[in-house]
Amino acid sequence: MPTVEAPADAELARLIGAVAVGDRAALRALYDATAPKLLGIILRILQDRSAAEDALQEVFVRVWQRAATYDPEAAPTLVWLSAIARHKAIDRLRQDKAARLTQADEQWLERLADGRDGEADLARRDALAQCLEAVEPDQRDCLVLAYCEGWSREELAARHDRPVSTIKTWLRRGLIGLRNCLEAP
Amino acid sequence: MSGKTGREAAPFWADDPEGAAGEYVLGTLPAEERAAFAQSLEGDASLHAAVAAWEVRLASLAATVEPVAPAPDVWDAIEARIPPAPPAVSGDGVARILTLERKVRIWRLAAGAATALAAGLALWLVVGLRPTATDRQYLAVVDRGGALPALIVRVDLDTGTVQVRSLAAETPPDRSLELWYVGTGAAPRSLGLVTDAVDRRPIPAALRAGAEGVSLAVSVEPKGGSPTGAPTGPVIYSGKLVRE
Repeated sequence: MPTVEAPADAELARLIGAVAVGDRAALRALYDATAPKLLGIILRILQDRSAAEDALQEVFVRVWQRAATYDPEAAPTLVWLSAIARHKAIDRLRQDKAARLTQADEQWLERLADGRDGEADLARRDALAQCLEAVEPDQRDCLVLAYCEGWSREELAARHDRPVSTIKTWLRRGLIGLRNCLEAP
Repeated sequence: MSGKTGREAAPFWADDPEGAAGEYVLGTLPAEERAAFAQSLEGDASLHAAVAAWEVRLASLAATVEPVAPAPDVWDAIEARIPPAPPAVSGDGVARILTLERKVRIWRLAAGAATALAAGLALWLVVGLRPTATDRQYLAVVDRGGALPALIVRVDLDTGTVQVRSLAAETPPDRSLELWYVGTGAAPRSLGLVTDAVDRRPIPAALRAGAEGVSLAVSVEPKGGSPTGAPTGPVIYSGKLVRE
């Protein structure tokens, strides 16, 4: 399905293909094109700048190693890269809990709804904003803070003053509700 | 089935793979579950698909962040960590790498029918690599669609040794991986088994005169190596020596 980011995505996919056969210049080009966005994502999870830049390093070393496994059918390039960045940041955060202040940013949904051109596929973003609206507020809060800022079940339990098991239930219910809404005909 | 037995027999996500995949993407699985899930992802296509679907569904949220320019030394650190640093690639070198790329596709197809290895592997071949080498550097990068490079094979014409260093080669249970070299028009000859450690062996006579155009291949063999002296199992990676 064509999306607004298609041309840029094709170029990034080409670069990833070149990285897969050991092209260092392609890795540099990919870095120049995507590192600021990925660092932005990491910094929302790891608020320590130097920890975040370490994680960014890890991301591109992993991209170098794993470029051949990138499947353009499964996800657009930026989704794939962002996933690597988020996982690196979360792994690091779990090792060093002090790396993040547990102070929530409440603006995620507003930014999602506002939208800005040139970012992700507009239709997909609108659908996500609408479907998150439809999720129970507590569940939504947990989904958004976990995904965007790396909050753990325990941290969410403390924030909501509920047992960890309740948070797990909220997360699972929230996810399934979200999926059902996004996939509704 | 009692709950306890069920837990031991099946992974924790068996009763809700979709929710577990979603929580893996969120990052909220407990550490042990997260590690186990990540490991199984490599070899489980349906888990992989479930995770990819969640990444795609949620990606727009992450995309709302403002970009932040990294400090200049971040790239330097990355560059220092990605081996090897080949010398400037000539036009000829590019052509050879493209040839290699096509071969990799063929190997992937061939390997698809062969033993399923959890990790995709790569073979790095460096011949005559010296810090001050002039025209004696060869390099091939071969990736079988997977994870880390599996091996570094260095053939040093000056010291007369072949050094095989295993990085991420995964040997199937009850099998051995055997390394072969194939000169032009010649039958494959064994360079020995691939072990976990760095391994140095004498260079075969046939390679001493030069290694240009020699192919290396790794096949899956019965434990202890091929009983016949020739490859008997599927070739799972392969590479051709390229002069830089």
